[in-house]
Amino acid sequence: MTLAEPVGLSAEQCLKCNVCNTVCPVLRVTDRFPGPKYVGPQAQRFRLAVEAAPQDGRRLLASPDLTVDWCSGCGFCTSACPADVKIAEINSRARAVMREVERTSPLGWRHRIRDRLLGETDLVGSLGVRLAPLANLMLRARLPRWAVQVVLGIHRKAALPAFARRTFAATWRSTHGPLPVDPSQPGLPGPDQAVVYFHGCAANYYEPHVAAAAVAVLERNGFQVIVPPQVCCGLPLISNGRYAGARGRARRNVATLAAFARAGYAIVGTSTSCTHTLKAEYREMLDVDDADARAVAGATWDINEFLVHLHDEGRLDTGFGARTGALPYHAPCQLRSHGIGLPALDLFALVPGLAAEDMDHDCCGVAGTYGLKEEKYQVALDVGAPLFDRLRDRGAGDVACDSETCRWHIQAATGARLRHPVEILADAYAASPVTATPGGS
Amino acid sequence: MPSTDVVVVGSGLAGLATAVRLAEEGARVVVVAAGSATLSWAGGPLDVAAVPPDGTPRQGVANLAAHPGHPYAVLSGDIEAAVAWFDATMAHGGLPYEGDLDRPLRLLPTALGATRPAAIVPAGMAAALEPWRAGEGLVVMGIRGDKDLWPAAVAAGLRRAFAAGSGPGPASITAVTVAIPDLADRRNRSALDLAHRFDDPHQRAALLAHMSRALDGGRSGPCRIALPAALGLEDHAAALAAARDALGGPVFELPMVPPSIPGLRLQAVLRRRFLALGGRILLGEAVARVEVDAGRVARVVLPAAAREMTIRAPALVLATGGLTGGGLVAPASGGLQETVLGLPVETPPEAAWLAGRADAPGGHPIALAGIRTDDQLRPVKPAGVRIVGGLLAGQRFVDERCGDGVALSSAWRAAASLREDAGAPVGRVAA
Repeated sequence: MTLAEPVGLSAEQCLKCNVCNTVCPVLRVTDRFPGPKYVGPQAQRFRLAVEAAPQDGRRLLASPDLTVDWCSGCGFCTSACPADVKIAEINSRARAVMREVERTSPLGWRHRIRDRLLGETDLVGSLGVRLAPLANLMLRARLPRWAVQVVLGIHRKAALPAFARRTFAATWRSTHGPLPVDPSQPGLPGPDQAVVYFHGCAANYYEPHVAAAAVAVLERNGFQVIVPPQVCCGLPLISNGRYAGARGRARRNVATLAAFARAGYAIVGTSTSCTHTLKAEYREMLDVDDADARAVAGATWDINEFLVHLHDEGRLDTGFGARTGALPYHAPCQLRSHGIGLPALDLFALVPGLAAEDMDHDCCGVAGTYGLKEEKYQVALDVGAPLFDRLRDRGAGDVACDSETCRWHIQAATGARLRHPVEILADAYAASPVTATPGGS
Repeated sequence: MPSTDVVVVGSGLAGLATAVRLAEEGARVVVVAAGSATLSWAGGPLDVAAVPPDGTPRQGVANLAAHPGHPYAVLSGDIEAAVAWFDATMAHGGLPYEGDLDRPLRLLPTALGATRPAAIVPAGMAAALEPWRAGEGLVVMGIRGDKDLWPAAVAAGLRRAFAAGSGPGPASITAVTVAIPDLADRRNRSALDLAHRFDDPHQRAALLAHMSRALDGGRSGPCRIALPAALGLEDHAAALAAARDALGGPVFELPMVPPSIPGLRLQAVLRRRFLALGGRILLGEAVARVEVDAGRVARVVLPAAAREMTIRAPALVLATGGLTGGGLVAPASGGLQETVLGLPVETPPEAAWLAGRADAPGGHPIALAGIRTDDQLRPVKPAGVRIVGGLLAGQRFVDERCGDGVALSSAWRAAASLREDAGAPVGRVAA
């Protein structure tokens, strides 16, 4: 593994201004983490030094600061940095190096197994769906959750979603036939009439209703939906420092999706962290940066980003039915990394009567699989606490959020009903069967 | 958001103030910023002008406005309204400032053990600027383990600084370092750590109890108490009130090195105000390029992840700062470049760059570099653009201490000018 350009060397631009520490949600709540400035650009100088003088393999890989494992990867440091230092990305790569050399890892064997398991979302998901009734019972029972914490170190109170009875992909196959692997396959609608849907693990194994809402919204706008075979985007592996495994997932997804991207199809996803992984992390983290990967990155859209784009082109059906009341909205950190603003808020503004309110809180705390871990669960609760308080003040009702792990964490912490923005839009369409003639923005 | 009325590039004081002013007038505004650093570098006082350092800010503005080419030569008429707006905005946001343009500049002690002139300061620093009464002492109090404030060094520095200054200073300066048992030394402490603790009512009470006990050991007679500028970030008003109460005397915060909590508080007030007015902020995005149609700004293109994002906007405000803020860069090929539009930069001759010392009186000539505009803050081209803040040519913000005043008055002027710009009426027009 190399600390590749431009991530590793960006540390050289650090001004030591500390603004990264001022926006770090983890630093705010625990003194176990010395902050992004220290574990990121400062420690990076030593990592670059050992890389420049690789006398032996072990020294090459050693990290001078193991507390980098407390970085949740939210990325606010990178956004706030005035000198364009890729702080969160440096931290992620450093964690991957630590995992390669377990000798320097602060984790015991339980946590190593756990972190492997948390990265294997396809394995856990497909097993869980097969055993859904039993598995869901176990997830809700105290004794099994206690056992899981003792054996694996997944906190017994951490939010784990219920498995669906059937995967979205299986349901789709039963109604639409085998999943197409090639855009030249006869009978497929062209890229002006159809989009490729990247469902990701969440919509496939846990929330097929989100996938159904996305399909309904896309179809309402005149698009047919194509679902090619796909595997986990690889982000849970990246977050847990398993870059080799993640690279395998990246290559498989790129192999399937590149032909669709080249044929001009938009690749639309409901998981904002999956779409960001396809767009940016294959290149920045995994060094999967060939022409195919770039084609896929350039064709990938977060679904709300795609709908705003349609609206901008005057092609979005704006015939939303009225929906009254307030809708608190939390923008997840993965969405912010897209650099596309908050498209869900632009769309909510088109729904008559809907008063969406940005909760303006940095991070809910869970940061993917981070907040599930027994040693980090309390950090995840403390980071999200101001958001949870604000939501409790708003009372019961729907809360919108683009990221599945945030939804599960916030729902468990507050008891609110968490929904993907596209579900809100699907409801609003369903409340008005009349298609509005698409007009100008 | 693919279309908006105005894009403001930069989220320092000038950028956020312009954005809030425009949003208050009903414009749809998007702030785009490569990072969010400069206000975390700001010590707290509002620097309007400090020439001479014992005059008033109003006199300083008049002095600078007399120099042709200084931003105040065109903006001095706006300073009164801009500062009044700032005061009202801060008070409304729960972060009142004290002092005004006619208050004499006085010496404000800092965490470096030096003094600096100030007249308009956050309420938490106001007690430092009252004239020193005979026999009144100063206690400099810090927390053990805070790497950014060393009370003994600050006290020693302040003794020298007040002795060298004109006018009376404190009768005595004492250092008190407070040990807080439950502040484990797992890592270096900064003002940020302390501020988070002062935000929490329980931790605040415990900290102040320790500080009060330590003060009783170090106090003799009437005194003011100087503290690290860390009395809360989210709930500064409550922390300041609790500190005054617990320590039983006039308390003030010492401006500190970055990350500066008073600057972050100021940033939070402006940011919240802007978002409440419906504004949007895109952070971590440097502008890739600006596209111009028929001589007028039309689209701002951002890199985003994987695919560029275009925002259509008929107006653009550059609040990108000078060399420190990143609005100007000095490439190896020579000269200075403006980073967003590639505007011509008014630059002192390169021979002069090597002429003086950076710390010479009057500053280094490079400080004067920037963008030359007309009196409506328009650069030579394209239409629809305004320049605000540190990017404006002709100011020496370090030596003249005019940076905040230029930022606010240029924000005020730019917002008014865009409103009147016949080519692009700003406001809620049909999208």
